Amino acid sequence: MSETSIELAGKGGQLDKGGKPQDFVRNEVVPRRHPGRWVAVALILVICIQAAHGVATNPNFHWATYAEHLFSPFVLRGVGWTLLLTVIAMAIAIPLALALVIMRDSGNPILGGVAWFWVWFFRGTPVYTQLAFWGLFAVLFPRISLAVPFGPELFSIDSRLIVTPAVAAIVGLSFNESAYLAEIFRAGFRAIDRGQTEAAQAIGMSQAKIWRRILIPQAMRTIIPPTGNETIGMLKMTSLVLAVPFTLDLMFATNAIANRTYLPVPLLLVAATWYLAITSLLMVGQYYLERHFGRGHDVIAVKGGPR
Amino acid sequence: MHGIPLKPTVELQAVHKFYGDFHALCGVDLTIGKGEVCVAIGPSGSGKSTLLRCINQLEIVSAGRISLNGELQGYREIDGRLHQLSARQIAEQRRRTGMVFQRFNLFPHMTALQNVTEGPVHVKGRPSKLAKEEGNALLERVGLGGLGNRYPNQLSGGQQQRVAIARALAMDPEVMLFDEPTSALDPELVGEVLDVIKDLARAGMTMMLVTHEIGFAREVADHLVFMDNGAIVESGRPQEVLSNPGEARTRAFLSKVF
Ligand SMILES: Nc1ncnc2c1ncn2[C@@H]1O[C@H](COP(=O)(O)OP(=O)(O)O)[C@@H](O)[C@H]1O
Ligand SMILES: [Mg+2]
Repeated sequence: MSETSIELAGKGGQLDKGGKPQDFVRNEVVPRRHPGRWVAVALILVICIQAAHGVATNPNFHWATYAEHLFSPFVLRGVGWTLLLTVIAMAIAIPLALALVIMRDSGNPILGGVAWFWVWFFRGTPVYTQLAFWGLFAVLFPRISLAVPFGPELFSIDSRLIVTPAVAAIVGLSFNESAYLAEIFRAGFRAIDRGQTEAAQAIGMSQAKIWRRILIPQAMRTIIPPTGNETIGMLKMTSLVLAVPFTLDLMFATNAIANRTYLPVPLLLVAATWYLAITSLLMVGQYYLERHFGRGHDVIAVKGGPR
Repeated sequence: MHGIPLKPTVELQAVHKFYGDFHALCGVDLTIGKGEVCVAIGPSGSGKSTLLRCINQLEIVSAGRISLNGELQGYREIDGRLHQLSARQIAEQRRRTGMVFQRFNLFPHMTALQNVTEGPVHVKGRPSKLAKEEGNALLERVGLGGLGNRYPNQLSGGQQQRVAIARALAMDPEVMLFDEPTSALDPELVGEVLDVIKDLARAGMTMMLVTHEIGFAREVADHLVFMDNGAIVESGRPQEVLSNPGEARTRAFLSKVF
């Protein structure tokens, strides 16, 4: 029964532990006032309104051009591709990074070495260079073939059919990202108490299940904020795919219009608006993910007492 | 229970454990009969945890043998040579021992009930509805009926440790191992955990328990061992070892804890 009283006490407590009315009155406190804050708010408001007015009426910003292109099909297609590149690159990078961490942790020197080398290489070279390399893949290796080592060829295909610019862009972005994410994930897993693995082993769980059911859900809590950060970074990193060259993303689209109309400013604003909009969307997603994986840590209120 | 020759559940023969160059267990022989409660006491660093961890294969023994109900743990013997079992086979053997840790080690992202049903459902493949009913019954048994929906951080230390006991029991183990189950608890919470262990002893569970609660050891143990420097220095019925220790080291230790 004592558990019920915890619940009631948490709600401001009109009842004591025995469920009887309390014989005390809560202190009545006059809230502290913060006049300085109001002054600051007024000041900031004035500055903001002035700045907004200045920007809105400044002819150099070409707001008409901005409005004309913000939702133009060409730009919208760019938004779509940028979003797609971001999502697919992250969707590949995340499991890849997880595999790298598990390989590193496996105690197998070959797997560990491969994972170490992967991180070393992709973190140590510029993305731009990597993207350019993937763009040149079809030139460097005109045919991809499956063959018995040093023996007859079983199957062969033109590289250009496989490593298209879109594929090159995605591979370049995701491989590079996986190296960074692997380091983030590793830190997340190291923060988990060893006792968690031992408790799972003690109930006879296999290593694969321990990763899936015990370690990953717990690491998520610490991994999500920096991974959200990386996703937003990835969104903007997609503008580098012109190194491939891949020419359908948002930045390329707005640049192309700007070059045609000789009006770079409104088109930079169009691009910035869309990047901000997508970032905001990603932040909403992150909020819900954090809430989901924070369970058992952030929850303090007691739900479901004794029946 | 004394005097009757018991079928050994856990049998350790000349078990040695090295951590690098450090000799943590130096030739431990120990037999725990079915339904018997064996309590290990001894100074910190004497190898008590290591011993339990070897039985549960959280540590691999460096020499000697451990068997559970006659089955060699961690190895298969073929023509007098030991072959290491696969990770999967070791996991299967671990299901037969339940372990309760000093610091509970509950899974913080799961509710009390989920902690208890995790093993039955995801290791043994028990249908989840059935496992839930059994899990609730186990929580009831350790005095936590109705608290199944709470996360570990919404429970007191004593409650958490009782969930941990229920989690181990849910696997229906042949032996339960307790490593100082009350050492991380506030004094007023020790009793509720010891009561649960006492109930298990009464119900005939085979157990090995490491504790500093000497009074409790005297009450619950069928067999008491005193460890020092990685070896069992003295062993026997609790009354004998506690009231009339034969070894100077045992006397010195007991004079400190009483
Ligand atoms: N993983 C380890 N690596 C090295 N030394 C260890 C390890 N675990 C325990 N030890 C050492 O082994 C000895 C016995 O430890 P332990 O079994 O935990 O003792 P107890 O539980 O009796 O206090 C201690 O001296 C401890 O420092
Ligand atoms: Mg210990």
